[in-house]
Amino acid sequence: MPTGYTGKILRVDLTDDKVAVEPTNMDWAKQFIGGKGLGAKYLYEELKPGTDPLSPDNLLMIWTGPLVGTMVPLTSRYAVITKSPLTGTFLDSYAGGYFAPELKYAGFDGIIVKGKAAKPSYLWVNDGKAEIRDAKNVWGKDMFKTEELLRDEVGHKYARVAGIGQAGEKLSRIACVTSDITRNAGRGGAGAVFGSKNLKAVVAKGSLGVEVPKIDTFMEMAKQMLWKDVVENPDHAGLITDGTPIIVDMSQDAGILPTNNWHTGQFDGYQGIDSDALKTRIFVRKKACFSCGIACGSFAKVRDGLFKGSSTEGPEYETLGLAGSNCGVKNIEAVVKFSEDCDRFGLDTMSAGSAVGFAMDIYEKGIITKEDTGGLDLRFGNEEAYAKMPEMISLRTTKLGDLLAEGTLRAAKAIGKDTEKLVIHSKGSEYPAYDPRGSIGMALAYATSDRGADHNRAWPVASDAYGEGDPWSTEGKAEICHDEQIMKSHKWSMIFCDFYGVSDENIAMYYTAVTGLPADANWLNAVGVRVWNLVRAFNVREGFSRKDDTMPDRMSTEPLPSGKTEGKTVSREAFEKMLNEYYALWGWDEQGRPTKKTLEDAGLSDIVGTLDYL
Amino acid sequence: MSKGLKIELEKCIGCNMCALICSGSHVGKFNPSESMINVEDVFPEPGVFRLNYCTQCDEHPCVEACPAEAIKLDEALGIYYVDKEECTACGLCVDACPHNGCWLDPSESYVIKCDLCGGTPKCIEVCPRTVISRGE
Repeated sequence: MPTGYTGKILRVDLTDDKVAVEPTNMDWAKQFIGGKGLGAKYLYEELKPGTDPLSPDNLLMIWTGPLVGTMVPLTSRYAVITKSPLTGTFLDSYAGGYFAPELKYAGFDGIIVKGKAAKPSYLWVNDGKAEIRDAKNVWGKDMFKTEELLRDEVGHKYARVAGIGQAGEKLSRIACVTSDITRNAGRGGAGAVFGSKNLKAVVAKGSLGVEVPKIDTFMEMAKQMLWKDVVENPDHAGLITDGTPIIVDMSQDAGILPTNNWHTGQFDGYQGIDSDALKTRIFVRKKACFSCGIACGSFAKVRDGLFKGSSTEGPEYETLGLAGSNCGVKNIEAVVKFSEDCDRFGLDTMSAGSAVGFAMDIYEKGIITKEDTGGLDLRFGNEEAYAKMPEMISLRTTKLGDLLAEGTLRAAKAIGKDTEKLVIHSKGSEYPAYDPRGSIGMALAYATSDRGADHNRAWPVASDAYGEGDPWSTEGKAEICHDEQIMKSHKWSMIFCDFYGVSDENIAMYYTAVTGLPADANWLNAVGVRVWNLVRAFNVREGFSRKDDTMPDRMSTEPLPSGKTEGKTVSREAFEKMLNEYYALWGWDEQGRPTKKTLEDAGLSDIVGTLDYL
Repeated sequence: MSKGLKIELEKCIGCNMCALICSGSHVGKFNPSESMINVEDVFPEPGVFRLNYCTQCDEHPCVEACPAEAIKLDEALGIYYVDKEECTACGLCVDACPHNGCWLDPSESYVIKCDLCGGTPKCIEVCPRTVISRGE
């Protein structure tokens, strides 16, 4: 067994109330590493196509990676892998904090859950053993309380808890999985998959540790890298001093800050929600995840006013954009309250912010009224009303809350009246906070992301709107998306944090140092290609193709009104051109399906026979 | 003046690098449960990190509490350390310590207490926010 892997996974069948330990498939681990890749392989092999994501048959997995729990910096994340109830695609969603190393120290590379428990349950994992326990004391409770109570129940003050608030229990398709109170596997509705299985949480405590070869040499290397490649790396400077809120001003300047449900790309109240506002008004302390020297997170607390006493870790840029400017909210204190309640009740702040921005838009247009909102005057910027929305959505109180809990697209479809065109999404996943009308490559990044619109699969905005490139030229954008998707695919399989600007050479070096297995940048690239094609094949098998790799009409028909993006749109022609180039780079057919040769070249010959179109 | 680690707690970010290198160098694997320094994250209230470690206090009630005389003086450093061979894991030192400075290992076979790595504590070198020092 290579070091870095525990060689064991937990098999949990909630229907039969059974837990078993089985060996990690190391043949697969050598091809797919861990995290995203290994999870994708298990999901592809074991999930029947067409499975309803909220049915007992869906598989819910939690994966670590080989570097988790070691001194390799920024490797403390776990991947929740399942079929998404929001998009119907493959879903991999990640959270940092302390849960992943605890699971590894408890003796497991991953957990695979199927079925549905007869009653609310949680899984207790401790030093090589696991049991399904009754969750009656925590069902119906928020994640803050749940973590506290479950730690008491298992008798470990610092047992780590990954679980769901009320939003997941009530099957909201924008419910997240929360650990360490403020760290969330946010996107894609994995919280609802927990809820559909009557699974409140996974609680882990481990003291088995992780071994590596030649540990003294290893520690010296890791220490040097922590200083030279992380703390003193100029690419990390902004994250160390500010964290992601630094992006608010960059987006405002570039004219791509989503504002008032994407009707403008600049926000006149941006200075109330930017990094300076965070630092001067609410900052308490910097906060890191396990094994991280960056500490991008800020623990923040509201000092006075309507939301006095509310606290959160962040708010992060995506929350400030989608739940701040996109809702017309000018005070960061209100965003703290919104973010805190999303953590508490278990909602993805990105989807929730988008949903509320959408609701404000249709309220102002008179399509919904106070009758639908439970009496709230849901105008853009009405912070008092806005701050009540996470609870309303999570508990599905009011007609509106019940609809928005299904995600913005499903809500719009139910409301009708042409509101669907106001939803800014791809595959039902609401756009992250970078308007493609000022960063054309993001339209392609969103359309081709494997879990629906996403910024963590490719981020071309860095080199155009925030860099030297031309934000409106299609040139090279397909290549950026293609190359970054490869890189992120192996990086999420190893499970590094996005914020470690680590080179492929160094990733390979770390991997070899931990596992003793050979690796180099070429091999990592090949893994990235293999993983992305496998996930694409999963989505194709589920019925996805070019028709789903979309951009909302408003991006091409509604020019932005001000700043650098004044008058700008993304033309249909430009979008289709990028998409054609992108498919060609991947070796996919014009419908966006991997060809037989592409799969064979990627080391995926064994799945060729599973795809009807081949 | 005590001879233990000096901690500027307000700078701590909770990364656990200290616990990783401590366990790696003392027990040969990465396992914060066996580290001589441990990090508590206490959020959202009061919203702080706490570090538990032996301060090498002048009173050293642990030494007096130990019935096995397993907590011994390192004369070169002038600090007290636990002799794992002689420790019976009775836990009396743990109860006696007012600083949460020592605790039983996960298998409850000996007491874990900072030994300053023989004079050059590794946690100091790895802390990315220079929270830890010798203080002289």
